[in-house]
Amino acid sequence: MTKYIVKRVLLSLVTLWLLVTIVFLMSWALPSDPARAILGPFADEKLVEDFRETFGLNDGFLEQYFRLLKGLVTFDFGLSYGTKKPVWDVLAPTLWRTAKLATLAMIITTPISIFAGLVAAKFRDRRLDRGIVLTGLATSSIPEFVTGTLLAVVFGVKLGWFKAVAIIPEGTPPLEQLNYLFLPAMALAIVYFGYIARMMRAGTIQAMDSDYTRTAAMKGLSSSQVMRKHVLRNALAPTITVMSVQIGYLVSGIVGVEVVFNYPGFSQALLIAVKQKDLPVLQVAVIISALVYMVATLTADLIIAWLNPRIRLEMGN
Amino acid sequence: MEHMDTEGEGLAVSPLQGSLSRRTLVKRAAVAGLAVPMVGSFIASCGSDDETSTTGGSETTAAGGSETTAAGGSETTAGSGATGGTIKVGTFKPAGPLDPIAQADLGTYNVVSQCFECLLGPEGDGVGPALATEWTANEDSTEWTFKLREGVKWHDGSDFTADDVVATFERIVAVGDSIGGSISAGATTAVDPLTVKVVMNGPNASFPYLVSLFNPQTAITPAAYEAGTTLDGSPNGTGPWKLESYDPNSGAKFVRNDAWWGGATPLDAVEMIFFTDQASENTAQSSGATDVIQSFAVVGGDALLADANQNIVDVQAATHREVWFGCDEGNFTDVKVRQAMALSINRDEIVETLFSGKASVANDHVIFDLYPFHDPDAVEQRAQDIEAAKALLAEAGFADGLSTTLNAVDLGEVPQLAELIQSMAKEAGFDITLNVESTDTFYGTQWCVTYPCAGSAEFGIVDYGHRPVPDVYLLKAFKGGGDWNSSQYASADLDAAIVEYQSSAEEDARKVASGKIQTIMWNDVPAMIPYRYNGLAAYSKAFTGVQFTALGHTIVSAASQA
Repeated sequence: MTKYIVKRVLLSLVTLWLLVTIVFLMSWALPSDPARAILGPFADEKLVEDFRETFGLNDGFLEQYFRLLKGLVTFDFGLSYGTKKPVWDVLAPTLWRTAKLATLAMIITTPISIFAGLVAAKFRDRRLDRGIVLTGLATSSIPEFVTGTLLAVVFGVKLGWFKAVAIIPEGTPPLEQLNYLFLPAMALAIVYFGYIARMMRAGTIQAMDSDYTRTAAMKGLSSSQVMRKHVLRNALAPTITVMSVQIGYLVSGIVGVEVVFNYPGFSQALLIAVKQKDLPVLQVAVIISALVYMVATLTADLIIAWLNPRIRLEMGN
Repeated sequence: MEHMDTEGEGLAVSPLQGSLSRRTLVKRAAVAGLAVPMVGSFIASCGSDDETSTTGGSETTAAGGSETTAAGGSETTAGSGATGGTIKVGTFKPAGPLDPIAQADLGTYNVVSQCFECLLGPEGDGVGPALATEWTANEDSTEWTFKLREGVKWHDGSDFTADDVVATFERIVAVGDSIGGSISAGATTAVDPLTVKVVMNGPNASFPYLVSLFNPQTAITPAAYEAGTTLDGSPNGTGPWKLESYDPNSGAKFVRNDAWWGGATPLDAVEMIFFTDQASENTAQSSGATDVIQSFAVVGGDALLADANQNIVDVQAATHREVWFGCDEGNFTDVKVRQAMALSINRDEIVETLFSGKASVANDHVIFDLYPFHDPDAVEQRAQDIEAAKALLAEAGFADGLSTTLNAVDLGEVPQLAELIQSMAKEAGFDITLNVESTDTFYGTQWCVTYPCAGSAEFGIVDYGHRPVPDVYLLKAFKGGGDWNSSQYASADLDAAIVEYQSSAEEDARKVASGKIQTIMWNDVPAMIPYRYNGLAAYSKAFTGVQFTALGHTIVSAASQA
């Protein structure tokens, strides 16, 4: 198992290096001048030139590339072009905010989706199953920013049950913050309900139809024992894989929800960095995003291995 | 919903005079429905003398009066409600650093203007005193003298003096702006610590507007400021609010400047919340997450417009669309064809369709009715007349109709305007094909390929934002050889009228020159200008005394809880 983890980590490092290089090449190839983009059309040319000097934009290709690599190795990410603050200071609060939102969304959607998937599988091809499947299809086919807008208008503006925008005042106690985060989290949870529930249903049906489940039932195990020990453990594997991918998406791909609820999260920071050609922020944000994906998938694999001895054995080999 | 459209007639100070006696102010304030004692006490608070004193800016005055719309700035009256508290202002996210000189977007204007002030501020239909209390020009408006307000302090406690103004204007010239081409290096001198003299490059009666809040890049910064310094890097203005914190992603916080020359603000603090999405900003305002929304559009703003908890403010503006005709070659060289097109559209219907009536019909010239020097009697309002349009087309040799392509920028309601023109003009005999292009390509391929403007399409629609005076429109879009003259229009008469307008120091003379411009443009129709439209802003009825400008400024120095 340790060998497996080390191998995955090393592979991840290679992937990260490739990613950093691709992002650097893309940013280098961008036609516009970051200094002019940041300072605006009316800024004095001397100021623009000073900016280029300060941030080393006049340096050669290799010099800039190795400076980036050195910064990543030494955890010195440099300064944001836009704010002139350390990149980590710019991104850390947004990452924290997004982590809170993503966690809440997963807390809401995971148990409901898994339970719905199980129920659908148990009552396969009956009305309840069709209802759950159709609901899942409907919710996952509507973009989250559309769902978010509807939730904000109905439950935020019209009914006033929750905060329509996620502008959390400083010093708001954690429990009270739930009121601000509930609607954006629901917008995400509703979409992911469809994915996770359908995956859980498919996994459960496959497990229920398998020989080992039939054998378990024939040897006299109770229905709940069969479900818990044989069906659930096996059915969870594809669901966990899907969820790990969703976690990565929840960090960097939910710009729609963040915009609708005006939540200054990580996805918005990434978008702004792209718009402003704030390359230091963009590069680090992309790396963080990739790291989250990697950690999430590795964690998912480890959980699956923990649940399933056969996979654990395969990993060992 | 509550619209506040009442006119504060005559309260504005003429930008060409720059002084108003206490007696006159009180009299005019009474006409406008303001409480005289409040106005009187305000004048006293400004430390002005009787009879010869000047106003201190209407944005700080008043008592529970109704708001007025104004040219580019909504005038509102002071909160008579409870003091203290914080107001939350929803605003566009600043697009760049908070650099007073290089600022170029509405979000940055709104943040920077809370701390930094210009020589003049908004007042009624025009501009009024801010850091300058009086301003006078010599006879031909080639030299302007500004008397600065006494006792103004920077946030760090140091004195505001003429040296700060000189240094600011020199910095502006040094970065290549030159205040709309008005001045050159060395043009600004300090006569004494509270008097500044500015020598123009040529006659310019509009200069007070160019050093007002409506030209935000002229915000006065300390003499020691260097170009490129940002507000958050060096938070030291003269304005009513001090910057306490700034996060470019989420918002800014301001606290009261107790030493402000306008007196203590009723509210303790301002919290600005940044938005990147208009719909989200509207939702925040509807739900009470913000108290003020900097601006919103009719399209998508229905909920706010129908919200009984909001004060809706129409901010009068000169924002308009120019439907240009190529006057040098192609189908529109004959003025009769241009007039025929102008007669073929129904402007009232266009305004109703595109703006639900929240725009004003315009008359094919840029001296809009909101400008104080607009001459309402110069030309009649052009109305749809299909028969007359057909006759003009026939006279021009197009009895069987005319085919052309209308090129429109894909921005706001412009594509819909193009469709309306296409359908309305068909009846008069125009067969129009539409070509709508994105903002990325339109300006460089259809509008002006090179500068001064050349290579334009023969027929197109382009957007123009608000300007407190029409000088930019006239000089850039209609003067012969202008940078943005996509019509390739050249008229010695118009050029002469523009010079006359710019050098007219007296308002009456300026009105006469404006009338000439209106007439020439109306007759020659180098461009069709169907409407101008207002900005919309809103604030919660829990507050009073909030003021807006068409450039997106939210002025809350007089705001209080209702």
